[in-house]
Amino acid sequence: MAEIFHGLSRRDFLKFCAGTAAALGLSEIFTADKIAQALQAAAGKPPVIWLEGQDCAGCTISLISIENPSPASLILDKISIRYHETIMAASGRIAEEAREEAIRQGGYLLVVEGSIPGADDRFCMVGGRPFREIVKETADRAAAIVAVGACAAFGGIPKGTPTKGLPVSKILPGKTVINLSTCPVHMDHLMGTIVYFLVTHKAPPLDKLGRPLMYFGTSVHDNCRRRAHFDEEEFLTDWNDPKQKEWCLLEKGCKGPETYSDCPIRRWNNGISFCIDAGAPCQGCSEPEFYVEQSPLYAMGPVTDRILAKKAAGLIPRKDNA
Amino acid sequence: MAKRITIDPMTRIEGHLKIEVEIENGKVKNAWSSGTMARGFEALLLGKDPRDASYVTSRFCGVCFSVHQMASARALDAAFGARVPWGGTLLRNLVMGAEYIYDHLVHFYQLSALDYIDIMAVADYKGKDPELNKVKDKVVGLVKRGDTFPLTPRYKPDEFCVNDPDVVISAVKHYLDALNMQIKAKNMGVIFGGRAPHYQSIVVGGFTQLPDINQVARFRSMLDEVAAFVEEVYIPDVVAFGTGPLLPLARAGVGGGHRNYLSYGAFELNESGDKLVFKPGAIFGLVGTKPQRVEPFKPEKITESVRYSWYKKETPKHPYEGSQVFDLQRPEAYSFVKAPRYENVPMEVGPLARGLVDGDPTLLSLINNHGVRPGAVARHAARAIETKKVVEAMYQWCDELTRIMTKPGFRIHDTDHWDPPAESEGAGFFEPPRGALGHWIRIKNHKIANYQAVVPSTWNASPRDERGVRGQYEESLIGVPVPDPENPINVVRVIRSFDPCLACAVHLIDPKTNEIRRFMVE
Repeated sequence: MAEIFHGLSRRDFLKFCAGTAAALGLSEIFTADKIAQALQAAAGKPPVIWLEGQDCAGCTISLISIENPSPASLILDKISIRYHETIMAASGRIAEEAREEAIRQGGYLLVVEGSIPGADDRFCMVGGRPFREIVKETADRAAAIVAVGACAAFGGIPKGTPTKGLPVSKILPGKTVINLSTCPVHMDHLMGTIVYFLVTHKAPPLDKLGRPLMYFGTSVHDNCRRRAHFDEEEFLTDWNDPKQKEWCLLEKGCKGPETYSDCPIRRWNNGISFCIDAGAPCQGCSEPEFYVEQSPLYAMGPVTDRILAKKAAGLIPRKDNA
Repeated sequence: MAKRITIDPMTRIEGHLKIEVEIENGKVKNAWSSGTMARGFEALLLGKDPRDASYVTSRFCGVCFSVHQMASARALDAAFGARVPWGGTLLRNLVMGAEYIYDHLVHFYQLSALDYIDIMAVADYKGKDPELNKVKDKVVGLVKRGDTFPLTPRYKPDEFCVNDPDVVISAVKHYLDALNMQIKAKNMGVIFGGRAPHYQSIVVGGFTQLPDINQVARFRSMLDEVAAFVEEVYIPDVVAFGTGPLLPLARAGVGGGHRNYLSYGAFELNESGDKLVFKPGAIFGLVGTKPQRVEPFKPEKITESVRYSWYKKETPKHPYEGSQVFDLQRPEAYSFVKAPRYENVPMEVGPLARGLVDGDPTLLSLINNHGVRPGAVARHAARAIETKKVVEAMYQWCDELTRIMTKPGFRIHDTDHWDPPAESEGAGFFEPPRGALGHWIRIKNHKIANYQAVVPSTWNASPRDERGVRGQYEESLIGVPVPDPENPINVVRVIRSFDPCLACAVHLIDPKTNEIRRFMVE
């Protein structure tokens, strides 16, 4: 254990495992000790190839925003990052050779950030080659494939641009792609998925959109602390008004009732806050419709009209009756 | 006989960048900078609700994630006629200040330091410091297990690489400590911004979250910790490197470029906005610290050329008139970065430009008294110097916010100007860590009729312009020593000193689509 989890005491490590087990809903099946054993049994540090396509590096920045374990411990002790353009020391040819060597060894976790241009391969070239080819050849010998962020999972914002960004699953038909679809990826979602895979050697149970149910099983609305104000139709219209501070953000364009993610419970950046707590409406970033079909973002529109119609029809029961 | 080498991908930057250089007699003779990825955000925004822009353009970049939200909101403020209340401005400034600290720490330690230290020298550390010995054990442990990724592979260390074990081991420790500090700085922004990357709370008219006193207290105590790291670790490291092993590189001014500098100015220190942390202006032709010409910033002087860019050909246009129609077939184009010019000349933007335009005394003293010439090392120094300035301003903003937020009628948002006007236009300017950023919007029938952003890396990473004049990266590489074409470490040092952040700037497509042209000697 000390070999693998260098720099982390056994007590801290077990705490990490216990937290992970609880987060994954694994507590009955896997004790923290069992997770620890499984991770120990994994041969050394799991190799990771992280590819960036039509991305903004936001998911990468999420990766180095992790607090438990610390990013240094994650990068140096927990996983073996064989290729990651933003982090690795190597440039140019030697960087590409590192990726090729990792592929030869096989058995790595492939993480893809960013979409793949659908309109023309020339919209994303790395090392002089189309990104699409790089993803395909790297996927062939991967033990698991994780699409991080809205772009890789569903096409995200680039889906609506002239480059017609495609999700990873579209160019890898027949392969299981685990979609962690918030914009950017939530690090708990990624860490938990990695641990789940190391322990069970398979993908966690997924919804029909390829998202782990343990993270994307409930709507933002169901867990929103402003929910009672939605039921009472108290909608915030003025951000300056202290009386309205906790009111429902539907009039500001909130997509919470049609968005599936555990943001309100988990929150972001190690639990500090999240969009709705900052007075900003949920923009549905975890959904395949993000962004074009979610527009307008800050006003009532087709999505919010639909939500109100459902409410009127009694399809969104009051929280106390739910 | 000149040799041409290509570095692709240029790593440890944000985005996809390819650098090609021609080397003759051990020095760079010519250079081409090109990004290799496009998304086309501006085209996507056409016809959308203008308020979407500040949210969508934040996704230009996940590193400098919300400066676009800021510049976009300011363009919308101008177009909507919104007047952001002082409370809203203070909150915007606080989250942007947190972004500065986070961004500069990540750039210096995570993205640049590996170019200047021979990390394996830690194995020779003989000291007794228990913390440093932990670092030694960690790195030696990685080597023993044969898994030193992602610290290797790398370019061979050269004569500018520090290999003194005592210096290297503390640098590696700071590399690891800085990873934790950048989280702290990022988390400060999250308190008011909602989450990071991609803050949520900056919208047209101001801010979305009424702060409470506990949040300010929490922010301030985290600021204390981060400020101590800046003061006690970051600045001393930059000074130690810049005046020690890197002094020859600093004095040679390697990576200087055109020596024209532009800053839009930023960060209000008072409600009327006439006192700023960074003042705006343009410097033409710096020699030593003596500019040939200094002028106030005039937005109308900005144009963008697409002669060498993969867009539909047109004459240079002001951003209000600019468009983004891709044309992948143009033979002379080699980049989808456009070529912004100011009065038709290329400008460097970023910390060095800000410091020079602002006349920062510490920076000027480095140049005048220590012989540091504007170039790669001076850029790292300028970053550290300005981080301290921003930290000091953040304390003032915390105090001011605390003073006004408990008064009745405290406001953070101009709610009267929330609905999009039928027809209008506006420009928004900011100075993100990487340099001058402008967003321009035109609104017709309450929808976006045109949207253009000219971003810091477009200024710095631009290709040649209408007159064939090289962009700033390209020019800064001319004369850079490359004694071994297989090991172009100075090239990556110079490029990384700009803190390239390409996703927002670059839309390049290699014209030779399927040709494999990786780093190679031709």
